[in-house]
Formats: sequence, structure tokens, C-alpha cells
Amino acid sequence: MDMTPNMTLSENVLLSIVLAPLAGAIVAGLFSKAIGRAGAHWVTILGVLTSFLLSLTVFKALVFDGAAKFDATVYTWLVSEGVKFEVGFLVDKLTVLMMTVVTFVSLMVHIYTIGYMADDEHNWDEKSLAGKNSYQRFFSYISLFTFSMLMLVMANNFMQLFFGWEAVGVVSYLLIGFWSTRETAIYANLKAFLVNRVGDFGFLLGIAAVLMSFNSLNYAEVFAAAPRMADATFQVFPGVDWSLLSVIGILLFVGAMGKSAQMPLHVWLPDSMEGPTPISALIHAATMVTAGIFMVARMSPIYELSETALSVVLVIGALTAFFTGLLGLVQHDIKRVVAYSTLSQLGYMTVALGASAYSAAIFHLMTHAFFKALLFLAAGSVIIAMHHEQDMRKMGGLKKYMPITYWTSLLGSLALIGFPGFSGFFSKDGIIEAVHHSHIAGSSLAYFSVTAGVFITALYSFRMFFLVFHGQERMDEHTRHHLHETPAVVTVPLMLLAIPSVILGFFTVGPVLFGDYFGDAIYVAAAHDGLAVMGEHFHGAFGFILHGMMGLPFWLASAGVFTAWFIYMKRPDIADVFQDKLSVVHRILENKYGFDDFNQKVFGDGSRGLGGLLWQVGDVKVIDGAAVNGSARLVGWFSTVVRHIQTGYLYHYAFAMIIGLLVLLSWVVVPGFVR
Amino acid sequence: MAFTDLVFYVFAAISVFAGVRVISSRNPVHSALYLVLAFFTTSALWLLLEAEFLAITLVLVYVGAVMVLFLFVVMMLDINLVSLREGFARYLPVGIAVGGIIVIEMIMVLSARYGDMPKPAPHPASYSNTEELGGVLYTVYVYPFEIAAVILLVAIVAAITLTLRRRPGTKHQDPAKQVAVKREDRVRLVKVPSEPRQ
Amino acid sequence: MTPDVAEFAPLAAEIFVLAMACFILVLDAYLPDTRRLIAFRLTQVTLLGAAVLTWMQYDTMIGTTDRMVLLGGTYVADTLSMVLKLAVYAVSAGVFLYSRDYLRDRGILKGEYFVLGLFGVLGMMVMISAHNMLSVYLGLELLSLSMYTMVAFQRQNGVASEAAMKYFVLGAIASGMLLYGISMIYGASGSLDLAAIGRYVAEHGAEDRILAFGVVFIVAGLAFKLGNAPFHMWVPDIYNGAPTSVTLFIGAAPKIAAFAMVMRVLVEGLGGLHADWTPMLIILAVGSLAVGNVIAIAQTNIKRMLAYSTISHMGFVVLGILAANKVGYSGAMFYAITYALTSAGGFGLLVLLSRAGFEAEKLDDLKGLNDRNPWLAFLMLLLMFSMAGVPPTVGFYAKLSVLQAVVSADMVWLAAVAVFFSIIGAFYYIRVVKVMYFDKPEDEAPIFAGFDAKAVLSVNGLAVLALGVYPSGLMAWCAKALG
Repeated sequence: MDMTPNMTLSENVLLSIVLAPLAGAIVAGLFSKAIGRAGAHWVTILGVLTSFLLSLTVFKALVFDGAAKFDATVYTWLVSEGVKFEVGFLVDKLTVLMMTVVTFVSLMVHIYTIGYMADDEHNWDEKSLAGKNSYQRFFSYISLFTFSMLMLVMANNFMQLFFGWEAVGVVSYLLIGFWSTRETAIYANLKAFLVNRVGDFGFLLGIAAVLMSFNSLNYAEVFAAAPRMADATFQVFPGVDWSLLSVIGILLFVGAMGKSAQMPLHVWLPDSMEGPTPISALIHAATMVTAGIFMVARMSPIYELSETALSVVLVIGALTAFFTGLLGLVQHDIKRVVAYSTLSQLGYMTVALGASAYSAAIFHLMTHAFFKALLFLAAGSVIIAMHHEQDMRKMGGLKKYMPITYWTSLLGSLALIGFPGFSGFFSKDGIIEAVHHSHIAGSSLAYFSVTAGVFITALYSFRMFFLVFHGQERMDEHTRHHLHETPAVVTVPLMLLAIPSVILGFFTVGPVLFGDYFGDAIYVAAAHDGLAVMGEHFHGAFGFILHGMMGLPFWLASAGVFTAWFIYMKRPDIADVFQDKLSVVHRILENKYGFDDFNQKVFGDGSRGLGGLLWQVGDVKVIDGAAVNGSARLVGWFSTVVRHIQTGYLYHYAFAMIIGLLVLLSWVVVPGFVR
Repeated sequence: MAFTDLVFYVFAAISVFAGVRVISSRNPVHSALYLVLAFFTTSALWLLLEAEFLAITLVLVYVGAVMVLFLFVVMMLDINLVSLREGFARYLPVGIAVGGIIVIEMIMVLSARYGDMPKPAPHPASYSNTEELGGVLYTVYVYPFEIAAVILLVAIVAAITLTLRRRPGTKHQDPAKQVAVKREDRVRLVKVPSEPRQ
Repeated sequence: MTPDVAEFAPLAAEIFVLAMACFILVLDAYLPDTRRLIAFRLTQVTLLGAAVLTWMQYDTMIGTTDRMVLLGGTYVADTLSMVLKLAVYAVSAGVFLYSRDYLRDRGILKGEYFVLGLFGVLGMMVMISAHNMLSVYLGLELLSLSMYTMVAFQRQNGVASEAAMKYFVLGAIASGMLLYGISMIYGASGSLDLAAIGRYVAEHGAEDRILAFGVVFIVAGLAFKLGNAPFHMWVPDIYNGAPTSVTLFIGAAPKIAAFAMVMRVLVEGLGGLHADWTPMLIILAVGSLAVGNVIAIAQTNIKRMLAYSTISHMGFVVLGILAANKVGYSGAMFYAITYALTSAGGFGLLVLLSRAGFEAEKLDDLKGLNDRNPWLAFLMLLLMFSMAGVPPTVGFYAKLSVLQAVVSADMVWLAAVAVFFSIIGAFYYIRVVKVMYFDKPEDEAPIFAGFDAKAVLSVNGLAVLALGVYPSGLMAWCAKALG
């Protein structure tokens, strides 16, 4: 490796990476009529391609040429009492990994969208104005999303992080409700937005706590000062001392729970499948939902100083990984199965974070981004072929009609369940092992969850796989007649995504998981460093595979696949028997543990009731009635009275002037004279 | 008390009396004539101050020209005195009160400076007020003087603009047009087909 | 001391305007009615030429001297005069352009109108450059006389004639007060020269009460010109009665000249007496803010409403002056200039909305303007927001800078009063916006307006926004002029 430590990253290159998708979004969004459909997809794809290629050069510079990390301010927005609010970039190996993943997946999704949205006008009412330029608008949104996500990951300060955080939230809102004439889509995007508000509120409080205690928003400054704050406490309620860093860590994690859909703030993600499938792949599988994971990894210098916060992260992640996986078993909508699988996998990443295995979390994030994007796009491919039918009960036997989709789906599913040698295997096994080595509170629960989760993952993944591609053809005659493989713009991204899904783990497990890839980008306290212990036993990727073949997770995954085959292929009647015998369990799962009902009843109806009360009494009566209208009426009345002074008579006017003169004289001269 | 002081007080008293009569007189012609009286006495006061030019100008311009015009207007207009004087009694107390306060305040202020006002130096025998004025009018004050000229021009323009009116219906002859007229303007040859014999 | 001809050279702008006014007057007499536009075009050329000459005059001064006092101390040229004159030219040129079609539709597109307008501009220039009480007074009379005549210009219009009559009589009373005050100052100090008066006041200002006595009358006269309560009674009647194009003229540039007059007389001449005039100006300011903002609410005639709004804005200008510090003076100057701009835009829009046989002057005439012409509605929205002081329009910044000065002069209560009345005032500005955007149009007639007038109005409206976003340029000039 050629080491030239003096080499630095160019600010202009970094700016171009961020701004190219923004420029594409602006052109496609504001000039949609002028550039037409082809213009819109070309300009946005060009923007994202620029970003991706430049990200690759940055990746090369940082990883292979040994360039120093970039940490500098690009623009100072304002300075308030010594605190700077800036736009700045921190680009190290962690960041560049995210940048490359985000831009690559985004590029694939852009290309895929050309095929997916080709006949989008059928999804709109003919009279709908929003349907007129929906194609261009969609491209503008996804480019805007790419810009927001890059701003998020490249931030070197909390303000920009928050900007990116909120910006991806807004774009996600716009995209979930993209088909704005569908009531379910509107409901889903409102739900996503509101649930994220809860998380963002915690996040904002966390940033405020950082600002309050560190008096800075810059990462480097905060991280440098964090060790001195390790024992600091403060009181929210009088008499109760809380560790400052724990509070900050947990508050920031609340934000991550919203964005990365951890229990109990996970409820928005399944509903967000109302959005077009490319979005589900880009935002709700590969990139945006990983923002929380990335954020916690980025904040590792803070989390490492608080075991309490790590425990909270670990337990929440474990619960999410296990319970949301179970929900995937009872879904019929193909995209919802993938969505619950995403939830479960995000739980895995969170568990890794809690176990201080940040690099394992990021590693899983990376591999997951590829194979989950693949699975989503494959699901989308099926949906296109099925004429936008998403119910798996109406599919089956698609293997012979859609060979490419079939094979890429198989590869993606194998990666997902962690079949040895596939990229998911390395990352998932790494997490399970890391949890095994962790000793903080909740680690045994987490170990059980992630291990049992392997079986569940395999079960629901192959349940879906068999239901869609094998068995009886349950679709109607018309659909069957038109079944064929999707066009190249759809299948090429599938194939391109399949490659990293299979091989990426094999080549990167060494440096990323056990090597010093991340360097000082991630900080792990020696006491927590389970990965280091594992690293001592690591002897290359082949050894890891061999070791994995003998481990419990492999047998669990195999059992899961077999069970799925047995229940859904061999003896489909068993599924019904289970459903009858375990009707209570089934109902609980169908109701998704009652989270939605609870939220709807307590928070939804409760806040509406409270709002109605405040509106009727507080607003209408007190503020509008007495304060606003009352004072306005008073002034108005006074005004109509006073205007009668303006009589129109010349001598009244002249007299008023004389009176004015008299007042001035008496007010000023006489007192001045007496003095 | 010197003789000039006596003269001053006599003329000043007449001037104030005339001023009061201008506004209290029932007949507008009388008011105008009292105003003439006030101008005369004021010009006498200026003579006492050796401001002969101003004194003469005041009489010539105001008495000779402005007031004569004013009298013409007053006499030609049929002014309803009763309606003009309506409310005079009603407003009188307020007017007197306000005026009285202002007078008192003025006296308070001005009397304080009265004692220490220095007397101007006596002029030499060859002093001519007119010459002095002429000396500065076109030199030091040339700029205000020019502006004053512009104001007079604007006054002329304004007066003409507001009063000159061409009524559309008036009958008048324009000799130039009459001379310039051509045959084509007046005579039109019309070809009339001859009526067929019945 | 005989003035040298060379001493007149710096007055090139004044001489040019005067000569052109006379030229247009004579030329117009020989033009047929169909070619009246020549007078209009020559007027615009005159204003442009005057701007160039004024800039050249300033340009020759740069580096050698801050100010030139010429012609026996009756004329002064400095940065203040340059900035204010340029503002007067710009605003007047816009005003004439807006009025062109309006005048034509009403058959009063006459050369005299523009000649009188130019004489008015000349009067303002004299006021702005005055360095002697006589120049101040004569400039004021020149301006006033032109304006009286312009108000009465539409002779058949009874309301306009009544307005002109009121304006003339009240103006004469105010001039009398001003002259009386000047004579008192002259009697005490023995001079009409502002510099000499300034020196005398610095020495004897404290003990000589006759000066303060004179100041009362001068302030009364100035307050009339600015339109401050209780000397404001003429404003609504004249604004309402005059043809809208004349209201437009009266409401814009003369405010700049009135500000200049106040600065020259009160600050340059009688600055030593600010302890006396500050309390007087407080009365004027509070009275204007209260009367202007409160009574405006009850108006249904938009011209009348804007008249009351003018009163309240002049209250703000006075607020800046009474702070008696540099921040206040430059704030007041900024306020006066930007207000003239905003006012020109506001009345200009009314002029454009009027057409033959129809005067846009009722609030209802603006109903649904957004449906009829969204761009004009947007411009009006900008102008109204600026008057109400909504950021990021310039009105906000102008109010802010004046209030800062008042606060820095330790009169926080006064700033609070000003803000209180501004809030009341915001109501009627926003009502205009509400009427334009949320009411159904009663009048569906299309809006005819010349392209150039629309373009200038757009520039005018957008300038209100641009100056609000980047106020520093103009503010720097204001600070330099009063530095």
C-alpha cells in the first residue's frame, strides 16, 4: 500500500459529491415540463453517477492511498454567543463507506425506477394535476433524498447532522405519500412523519444537551471533551442525579429509534411500503433507516463512556430483532414481509452497536444494504410482472416466467439468512459472536434473541420465496397470460446488486470486522472490545466459513429453510392447522402486538381530544374571543370615534395647528423658562 | 422718553388697534381699509428703523397694488356676512383663551431678553438703506434672490394653468384659418344623376 | 463680495433643471395636444441629466473636501445632499412614469403638469442643499406652490379644488409659523446662515430662551410639512381629494426633502438646542404614531388609509431624528428614502389600476386582485408588508434601525410605544393583503398598464424586497452622509 500521508482530500470534490444530486433534483423538479421524462431521468442519474464515481475516488484515496481524513468547515452560517453553526464535512473511512453504499444503491434505484415508473400515469386519476409530472417529480425526490443522506453522513457537526436527519425525513414523507390520491398512502406518510417526530424530539433534546454541556456542535470538539464529562451528572428532576453522557446517549438513541425503526417506534416502517417500491429499497431498506445505526457508530466516543446507554441500545435492538421477525411470518403482502425482515435486521445492527461491535454493525449495514435492496427490487420486479398485485396468496410458480428475478432473489435470500459464504453470513455471524463476547447488562437476552432470530429469518425468507416462485400458480388467467420477465432496466440492477450480496462479505470481512479498517473513526473502549477477542481467533475468511458451518446459527438457518419447505411446499395443510391451534398467537401477530391500536386509541384519539378541548376553550373563547377580537374591537371602536375629529372644516384644522403650537410652547418653553 | 420712542408707541398702538379691527369689523370693506391702515403704521415703524426702502415698498406694493385689487374683489363678491360670522361668538371664548395663553407665554419669554438687547450702532450720515440692500441682494443673497424669481414664475404658471380655460362651445373667429382655407374644404362636387323624364 | 461665475458651476444640476423646466414650458406652448408626451419624455431626460450632474458634482468633491459651502453660505453640497437628491430624482422619475397613462385618460396630460413637477423637484433640491434659512424657506415655498397647483390641476373636480384650497391656506399658516420662528432665531443670533446660527447656539443656546421660543415655531412649521400630528389634518383630505397621480407625487419625494429640511434646520443649525426640540419631537412622534395607525383602521378609502399611514411613518422618521445621535439620523434618512420608495410603489399601483372614468381608491377596488393579476397583487403584498414592517422587506429594517437608535438614546419606553402602534398598524396593511388574496373580485375588467410602467413598478416592488435583504449598501451611504 502506497502511504502518502500528506495527501489531502479536495473540498471541491466533496462539495461536488453532495451538490450533484441536489442540482439534478432541482433541474428535474423545477423544470420538469421543459426537460420531459427522459431529461428528468438522465439529469438525475448523471448527478448520482457523478456522486458515485467521485465517492469511489475518495474511497480509493482514503483506503488505498492513505490520505488523511478530511475534517473542515465549508461554510459558517452564523455564530451565536461563540457557538458556530456551520456546514462542514468529516470524511473518514466510516463516512466514505456510507457514501459509497448510499450513492451505489441510489444509482441502482435510479436506473431501476425508469422501468418501475414507466407506466406511472395509470396510478393516477386522469384529472389529478399531481399525476401530470409524477415521473419527473419522483426522480427529483429520490435525487433530493440522495443529497440529504449525503449531507447527513458527511456532517462534521450536529447541526448539519440534524439538517440531513430532518431532510431525509421530509423526503421520505413525500415519497411514502407519493401516490397522494390514495388514502392509505396519506395515512402511511402521516404516520411515518408523526412517529419520526417522537424520535426527532428525543434527538433534538440530545443535541440540545450536547450544546448545553459542551458548548459546541462540532464532532471533534465534543468527542475530545467527552472523556472529561464521563463522571458529570445533572438533575432533570430535583434530587435525582443522572449521568450526563448516559442521558445524551439515550436521547440521541431515541432519535435513532425513530429513524431506524426500533421498537416501539417501528410502527411506521411496514406502513411506509405504500410508497413505490424503489423507495422501499432505497430509503426504507438500504439507506435512510440505517441513519440511526450510522449515527450511533459515529457517536461511539460518547456511547463508550456510558454502559447504561449501551445496555439500552442492546436491549431495544434485541427486542426488535426477535419480535418483528416473528411478524414477518404472518404477512401476505410481499413487500411487508421484506419490510419486517428489514426491521429485524435493523435490530441485529442495533444489537451490535449495544455490544460495542460498531464495525460489525456497519459491516452488516453495508451487506444488508445490498441484499435488502436486491430483495426489495426483486419484489418490485415481481410486482411489475403481476401488474401491481402484492398479495403472495395470488402468486406462485413464478420461477419459470421470471428466471433472472428468481435467481437473484434466491441469492438475496441466502445472503439474508446468512448462508455460509454469502455476505450476510459474515456480518450476521460477526454480530452473534460479538454479542456472545459482550458482558454488559442484557447481553444474554440479546444473545438468545439474535440466535433464535436466525431460525425465524430463514423461516420467513423462504416462506416468501417458496410462496412466490414455487408451488401452484394462484394468479388469475389474465395475469398469467401476461407474465414475463421484466425489462433490462429492472433486471440489470438486480444482477448488479446480486454480485456484492454474494461476494462482498468474503473480501471485506477481514479488514472491516477484525482489521484496522476504521482506524480512529470508531472508538471502542478496551473493556468492551469483543471483536478484538474474536479477531485473535480469526484466520481468514475461509476459516471463518468453516467455523460458521459448525456453529449453531448455521444449523438454525438450515432448520428454518427446511421448515419453510416442509410447511409451505410439502404439506401446505399444516400451516392452516397451526393457524387454528395457535389462534391466539396468530391473532397477536396479526395485530402486530397491538402497537398500532394502542397508538391510535391513546395517542391519536387522546391528542385529538385534548386538541379539541384546547381549541374550543383556550383558543376560540379565551384567545380569539377575549384577547384578539376583544382588543381589535376596542381599537376599531376607538378608531371610528377618533376619526370624527377629521371634520373637513378648514378652521378646525387651523385651530388644531394652533392648539398643537400651544402644546409645544407650554410643554417645552415654559418649563425651560422656569428652570 | 425720547421723541422717537413716543412716535414708536403711537404708531405701534394704532397698528395693533387696526389689526384687531381687521378681524372684528362687520363690514369686509372696513376690514380691508383697516388693513391698509395697519400697513401704513407698520411702514412708519420701518422708517423709524431707517429702513426707508422697505417702508416705501410696503406702501407702494401692498397699499397701492395688492389692497386695491383686494378691495375690488371684496366689493364685487356678494359675501353673506351673517353666515360668515356664524359661530363667532361660540368660538370666541376658546379663541381668546388660547390666544391669551400664547400672548402670556410670549411675554414671559421675550421680556427676559428685553433688558440686555444692545442698541445698534448709529449709522453715518451718508447711510442709505436702499444702497445697502442693493449691495447684498445681488451678491450675498443672489441665490435666494434667483429662487424668489423662480417662485414668481411658478406663481404665474400656476395662475394661468388654473384660470385659463378654453370653453369648447365659444364662438370665435380665427382669421388665420379663414385665410388659409382652400376650395376643397368648402365645396364638394356631387354628381347627381339626371332624373329620367316622366 | 461679488460672486464669481465659477461659483455657480457646482450648481449645474439646479441650473439644468431650471433651464429645462423653462424650455419645456415654452416648447409645450407650441405643441399640438397629440404630442404632449414630448414634455413627459423631456422631463425624464431632465431628471436623468440632473442625476448625472449631481453625481459629477459629488465626484469632483471626493478626495478634496467633505462639503462645499457656496454663494455666500446659502448653498451646500455634501454627501447628504448627493444621496437625497439622487433619491428624489429616482422617485420622481418613477412617479411621472406611473402617472403618464392616468393623466392621459383624464385629459390632464399637459406640459404644465410636468413643468410644475420639475419646479417642485427644483424646490426639493434647493431645500436639500440649503445652508441658509432663506434658502430653506424659499425652497419650501417653491415646492409648496407647485404642489398646491398640481392638487388643483383637475379644475372641474370639486373635491380636488377644495383640497387645494385647504392645502394652500393651511400651508400658508404653517409657512407663517416657520417664518416667525426664523425671525426669532435671526433676532437672537443675528444671522440667517445655518453655520453662524450653529455657532451662536453652541455658545448661548443654554441661556437664551428666545432661541427655544423660535424653535417651537420652526418645529411647528416643519411638522406641518412632514405631516406630523397635530399638524397633520391636511394630509388625509389632500391625499384623498387630489388626483391619484398628484397624491403619488406629494406622498413620495417631498418626504425626502422634508427630512432634509429637518436635518438642515434642526440638526445643522439648531443642533445645540436638541434638549429643547427632543421633547417636542417626542410629542409629534407619539401623536403621529397614535393618530396615524389608529384612525387608518376605520378607513374604507385606500388613499385616505395610506394618508394616515404616511402620518405614522413620518412619526417614525421623527423618532429617528429625536434620538439625536448618528445612528438615529442615518436611520431616519434610511427610513425617509425607503418610505418614499414604498409609498411611490403603493400609490403607483393605485394609479395603474385606475382607468378612464374609474378611480381605484376604495379598499373594495382591490378585491380579488390576485385573481385578476397575480403579479401586481404580489407587488402590492410586498409593499404592504414593507409598510407594516414585516421581514425581509425593507420596512422591517428601517423600523429596526430607527428603534435601535431610540433604544440607544435610553428611551426604551418610546420604542415600546412605537412597536405597540406598529402592531395596530399592521392590521390595516394586512387587511389589504387579505382583500387582494381572499376576497372575490367585484370588478373583472382587465388591467391596462404600459409595459414600462409595469416594469418600473416591478423593479420598485422588488427593490423593497432587495433592500430588505441587503440593506447594508444604502445604510452605508446614509451613515456616510451623516458621518
